[in-house]
Amino acid sequence: MAFDIRVNGKKHSVDAASATPLLWVLRDHIGLTGTKFGCGIGQCGACTVHIDGRAIRSCRVPASAAVGKNITTIEGVSPDGNHPIQVAWKNFDAPQCGYCQSGMIMSSLALLRRHSEPTDSDIDNEVTNACRCGTYHRVRKAIHMAAELMKKEGVNE
Amino acid sequence: MNDKTRREFLATAAAAPGAFVLAFSVPQSATGDTTALDEINAWIVIHADDTVIIRIAQSELGQGVWTSNAMMVAEELQCEWSKVRPQYASVNRDAREKAPVWTLNVTGTGAMDPLGGGEPTFGNRNYVGVSGIPDSLYRRMRTNSASSVKDGRYYLQLAGAEGRERLLLAAAAEWNVPVVELSSKDSVITHQKSGRTMTYGHIAARAATTPHPHPEAITIKPPDQWTLMGTERKNLDIPDKVAGKVIYGIDIRMPGMKWAAVKACPVYGGTIKSYDFDAVRQMPGVRSAVAFPIPDPALTRGRIFSGGVAVIADYWYQAKAALESMPMEWDIPPEAAAFNTANMQNALLTAMDMPGKVRVNAGNVDDGFARATKIVEATYTTPYLARARMEPGNATVLVTANRVDIWIGDQSPQEVRFSASKITGIAEENVYVNQCHLGGGFGRNGNGPQAEQAIMIANAHRGTPIHMLWTREEDFIGTTYRPMGVSRLKAGLDADGFPIALEVRVAMQHDAPGFDSSFDGSSRYYVPNYRFSTHETRFHVPVGTRRGVGQAAGEFYRESFMNELAHSAGKDPYEYRRELIARTGLPYKDDMIKALDIAAEMSGWGSPLPVGTARAIALEERGAESDHMATISAMVHTISISQEGRVKLQRVDVAHETGFGLVNPLSVKKQIEGQIIWFYNDAMHQANSIKDGQIVENNFDRFKLARINEDPPEINIRFFNTEHWLLGMGHDRATSIQASIGDAIFQITGKRLRDLPFGRHDLTWEG
Repeated sequence: MAFDIRVNGKKHSVDAASATPLLWVLRDHIGLTGTKFGCGIGQCGACTVHIDGRAIRSCRVPASAAVGKNITTIEGVSPDGNHPIQVAWKNFDAPQCGYCQSGMIMSSLALLRRHSEPTDSDIDNEVTNACRCGTYHRVRKAIHMAAELMKKEGVNE
Repeated sequence: MNDKTRREFLATAAAAPGAFVLAFSVPQSATGDTTALDEINAWIVIHADDTVIIRIAQSELGQGVWTSNAMMVAEELQCEWSKVRPQYASVNRDAREKAPVWTLNVTGTGAMDPLGGGEPTFGNRNYVGVSGIPDSLYRRMRTNSASSVKDGRYYLQLAGAEGRERLLLAAAAEWNVPVVELSSKDSVITHQKSGRTMTYGHIAARAATTPHPHPEAITIKPPDQWTLMGTERKNLDIPDKVAGKVIYGIDIRMPGMKWAAVKACPVYGGTIKSYDFDAVRQMPGVRSAVAFPIPDPALTRGRIFSGGVAVIADYWYQAKAALESMPMEWDIPPEAAAFNTANMQNALLTAMDMPGKVRVNAGNVDDGFARATKIVEATYTTPYLARARMEPGNATVLVTANRVDIWIGDQSPQEVRFSASKITGIAEENVYVNQCHLGGGFGRNGNGPQAEQAIMIANAHRGTPIHMLWTREEDFIGTTYRPMGVSRLKAGLDADGFPIALEVRVAMQHDAPGFDSSFDGSSRYYVPNYRFSTHETRFHVPVGTRRGVGQAAGEFYRESFMNELAHSAGKDPYEYRRELIARTGLPYKDDMIKALDIAAEMSGWGSPLPVGTARAIALEERGAESDHMATISAMVHTISISQEGRVKLQRVDVAHETGFGLVNPLSVKKQIEGQIIWFYNDAMHQANSIKDGQIVENNFDRFKLARINEDPPEINIRFFNTEHWLLGMGHDRATSIQASIGDAIFQITGKRLRDLPFGRHDLTWEG
């Protein structure tokens, strides 16, 4: 069965069952491997992408739920890796192995879109991605820095 | 696919990102090229545009080796750091070439010689494959025991120095001047007398064909001459990591590739009895199914995993769906199925009461107990623990008549090469292991049988690239565990509350790595009469070197007991430790005291805290029982517990030694921060229990991972100088959190808990 989905501003025609988890459509049909598989049960958040700006765990969402909507993956955050959130992440050298970081960035970006100046408790409540290397300390600092950069550059407006 | 076709498609594929995205150096090692024209030595290639390729023979799993190894070469090469591009060293070439002779001799007198190479250790090729090959080109390609810097430093510095000297020789020849008149800095060679300059890129090709007349006479820079090493350097792969561009093993895609989903018997030692492929062969995308046996233990370091079955399909989710629908029956050894956590823990307790193997027997412990004013005794238990790296196990393998290609993230690619050769019957010289970054590692054996399973499946599908990927649940089967352990410590205290006798018993399964850690050789804390014994039993769960290895449990037992003794003696746990270290004759006792003093001072030790908040201190060491390489740190943890029993790690103050020098202090800080969360997880949340021989917690709903809300708001790290080379710090720092949370629970709630994880206990209290 074929259907169309729009990812990072580009339309893709996908030949897959519509119940296929969005994660696998993104990774294996469209070839966007920046979004990761971690647990398959919506726990770890390595597969986090945006549907219409909202962070979702794509391993638990059927591709059909994304039809007609705008999907953003890590590859769509910026053309050159220099979105303020990526600049902030680089400034703190935040990733270690990096595997969970695409999802971590997507969750944080969704938070920043809703709270331009998130408090620590906003971060605690909304960035619920798991990192096994323990990068949280730098991730938190990077989120605060990204908020400042985004405000300065007017990215959220 | 014949070899010509394979070469063509690898070449085409490598040139077409998107269709076939591969990381870094794959085309070169995939085609087996041994040398590039502009290769200076096996670690260094310099292009005409001044780009410096540095070959990395260890695996990047988040610890920063991609950057720190490059720094050690670049320090001596004196190249422009911004021009450095790391690339994985060829595992295949390592099978075919010997190390240059000038890299084989370690200079200096060992751990306390700042001018020398320290005390690197290399293993041997042995019956279980490869634990480091003493004279192969890259020698030890393993990444384990926090050893990449410790073992690699002297010869990576040598490689950089040899490269620099040959660039200078080539420049001297081109200008026809004596080489002693030349100097180099930031990739530019200068002839002082004439003021002429040239870049490394200009002379690299000539340097590649200019031998060094006396490479064995090359020396390395001692720490006081370092200019790059010792400075904080951001990790070179971070820009790709924040853009989703790093290609992990799971991201490998090849033309014609099929996916394999796997089910191995959930009871170790079991295997597949029967399966009905006909029931699922019509499902979408499904191609085939194949059973695989228990991987030969000779290929998995003696560990017995499981046999199972794989379904191969066009897409992985199709293979997984078919596998989940496929009827199958297991052949399970009844003795393995009889194990559960309770009877295993009882077996350990029983073993602990038996005589055991006496490792240390100093003085007369029984006499000490007889003379003691007070006896304190405690038994601690620690559970099985998985590594649970974020990237589930996977590998992509293509086997043809006379060649194997593998794309994998693995902590021991030489062992993968060995396994591929043994399974396929194809010579190691024709095995090409293309290393990818790992989505976490946390232990040399962390990859379990991922390579072996994938090779067995691909060997049954010769000519087709097979990408095997585990589910998260499968990843909990295909791994080794931190061993379950119990320990009983018994001390006799004198009238002043200091121990005059100490007996330590540790019971674990017989193959537990680091069984005797933290108590071997000496008791660390002074006691005149000391006996230490280990007690074995046999379990079916494969155990391995999970982050922290033996220190993880050993320091929990030891530091918890020190807290109990201090409280029992009515003494301050910091002062108590300090006094007992001061009484020893340990070679690094001053460094241990310094660590305790600095951590205590940083934390405001002794200053008042709100009700419901406590501080606890502990010492962390590996190697402090001797005068060889060692790493010493101390931490103070400030912990609050609400009356509802909610634990919050508020603040961590870390005093960590530098030894003669840290290569990349930024990576060291990141590793400390990461290990704080790692051991917080061990202390509070994680355990793998066994029921009917199976691992119970096999996904992140039950195997809990702390999130950002549990990260301590404040982490302070202070480095202090010491005069010896370090043993590494990537895996056994922050073990102190376990004992410290236990002690905070005692201080705040009055409950003395001795079994991990504490999060399973009722921690409520009334004010």
